Parts: sequence; C-alpha cells; structure tokens
Amino acid sequence: MSSKRHSILPAVSAGPKPPVQFSSSITIADSALLTGTNLITISSESVIHPRAKLDSLAGRITIGRRCVVHERTMLGVLGTSGKVTEQAVTLGDYVTVEVAASIEAGNTIIGEGSTVGVGSKIGAGAVIGKHCTLTPHTEIPAGEIIPDFTVIYSNGMKRIDKRGVADLKNKGQARQIDVLKRMIPSTPAKFT
Amino acid sequence: MSRRPPRGEYIETDTGNKVARKATLVGTQNIMLGGKTVIQPEVMIRGDLIRSIQSSSSSSSSGTPNNTAVAIGRYCFLSRASCLRPPGRLYKGAFTYMPLRMGDHVFVGPSSVIQAASIGNHVHIGARVVVGEFAIIKDYVRVLDETVIPPNMVISSFSIVAGQPARVIGEVPEGGHEAFELRDLYKTVGNNPQPAAS
Repeated sequence: MSSKRHSILPAVSAGPKPPVQFSSSITIADSALLTGTNLITISSESVIHPRAKLDSLAGRITIGRRCVVHERTMLGVLGTSGKVTEQAVTLGDYVTVEVAASIEAGNTIIGEGSTVGVGSKIGAGAVIGKHCTLTPHTEIPAGEIIPDFTVIYSNGMKRIDKRGVADLKNKGQARQIDVLKRMIPSTPAKFT
Repeated sequence: MSRRPPRGEYIETDTGNKVARKATLVGTQNIMLGGKTVIQPEVMIRGDLIRSIQSSSSSSSSGTPNNTAVAIGRYCFLSRASCLRPPGRLYKGAFTYMPLRMGDHVFVGPSSVIQAASIGNHVHIGARVVVGEFAIIKDYVRVLDETVIPPNMVISSFSIVAGQPARVIGEVPEGGHEAFELRDLYKTVGNNPQPAAS
C-alpha cells in the first residue's frame, strides 16, 4: 500500500490551457481549474483555493491584488446572455469571492474590497462598486450597477454601509492571506 | 480463486464510514469521522484549514498538537455537493481557523455550505442552506431549505429555523424526535444498499 494519501481529489477534465500572467507572490492551489483561451492575470498576493474555476473562454480574466477566491467558485461563466467581450471578469484589489459563487462573463467588474457572498450569482456585465457586501445567495441581474458601499441582503434589499471600516477590512484580508499562504500548497508552475 | 469485488461508488471503512469516490476531501489527516457516516459524491471537506495558532500550554504538554480541522460524529449524512469549511476569524491579532465540530445524526442537505463553529446532535439541515461562520447550532434543530444563517448566530435546541436571514419559526414538537434518527438512512446508501424501512 502506498504512503498515506493526504487528499482525495478526483480528477476533473480540463479544457484548453489558457495563457496566464501570474505575479510571483500568489498562492494558487494545485486543483484550481484554469481553462479557456484568453489571458488570465492574477496580481500579487492573491489566493486561489482548490477547485476554483476560472474560465476565460469568453474573454480575459483579471484578478487584482490580495484577492481571495474560494473553492467551487466559477469566474467567467457564459450565462444566458452570453457575450464574448475582450474583458470577461475583472476583480479589483482585496475582493473576496466566497464558496460556490458564480460570476458571469461579459465585462463584469467587481470593485475594490467587495465581498461576494456564498452561492451568489452575478450576471453578465454587472458593475459592483467598492467595498460592497453581497450576502449569501444574492442574485444580481445582468447589467446592474451597484453603487459603492452597498450591502445587499435578504432577497434584494439594499442599504449603505456607513461603518467606515474599509481600511480595517483590507488589513484583515492581508493577515488572512498571510495565513492562507502557509496553508495552501501553491503550484503556479503547473499553470504557466 | 477469489474475485476482487467490483469497484463500488463508495469506499467503506472499518468503522463503517461510507465515503464516495467522487467526494473531495482536502487534508484528510485533519478530518475525524465518527463512524457510520455517509459522504456522498461531490462533497467537499476542507481539512487543510487548520488552526494556525497553538496555545503555549498545549505545545509543551502534548507531543503532537491536536490538528483537527473538521470533526464529525456518528451516523452523519453529507448529501451531494455540500461543503464543510472551518470558520476563520481574527483572533488575538492574527487570522486563524477554528475547528468545525459536528455531533451525531447530523443530516446536511445537498448543496449546503457549512462554516459553523459547532453543530449539535440530531440536526437536520435542508438543501442549499448557508451556515455562516462561527454559528452555533444546538441539538435537535431543523433548518429548512435555502435558509441563510448569518455569522455568529446561536440557534437553541429544538427550534425550526428558516429564512434569509434565519429566524426561529417554530419548535420541534414533543413526538418529533424520532424523525432525526439517521440509522435507517445510513443503511440505504452504499455499495450494498438495503431498501428503506417502510
């Protein structure tokens, strides 16, 4: 019997291997799924958890600095309003995309510091402002523009976040990334 | 001449755990399964998110510090595509993950995401539920489908919760305790499923 297995990760079939542009300080898990034909750019100190799926078939994907992309997320999905544009998905700096969220392709922009909650679905072409909080299972229709500092909760209600904690959240995210760097074995060479 | 048994969908361990081959378990040495637990395909358990701060007393007394990320009790049932993830927070200035502890007879519905700190015994969690970070769910709780439990919420025993954000909408009636037992459900799953008890 071989040495004890550390993980049970069934193999997943992958599509075409995309051109990538990684910063040297990112943490990307071995079982992240990068497919597509356009460029995927990940800026410094971002973390991609295992089984996150970045699909650049419909356009380029750009991930900002110090972002955290959790597992089972899908960035760059071609939704029902499938547009193929030059830039599919853009994540600003300090963005957190939580488990099972899906962000459709088509010039979708997530502003700096925003948090996309668990299981959220963001339609094509939506523009999310800076430091927004989208609670779990939020659905943003295609093309919607969300102003900065909005909190979207329980079935589409919105309010403005007046706490003024943007800097503290960014510092907290930086600390989280320090810890994640040590915990997730990073293999950027696999994707280049 | 002995024939190898055909490869079933589930791996059955000595303690009676039934783990699907297509389940994604990251960091398996930090995942404790109580026994007679069913893990269906496409479940994801993050055992690699372990506590990063060890208190000084534990490191001097014990040889290897306890590195459990996820601890699951007996007769638990994790349905398809659910995700168990330890919650993380800023503790004493540094970010750390805390262990996720589940009790016995916990049913997790399909596509749910559990990031709670602890879940008690005999809990039924519906489909597509999101349990926020550091939530505490006590015993004999029924969480209905598509509930979103906000972070740090404490749900007391014998409640029924639903909604987004979750609210206690009722209480488990006196005769309703048998409905939480999962022994029969355990027998219906696996490589040699027994028919469900009628």
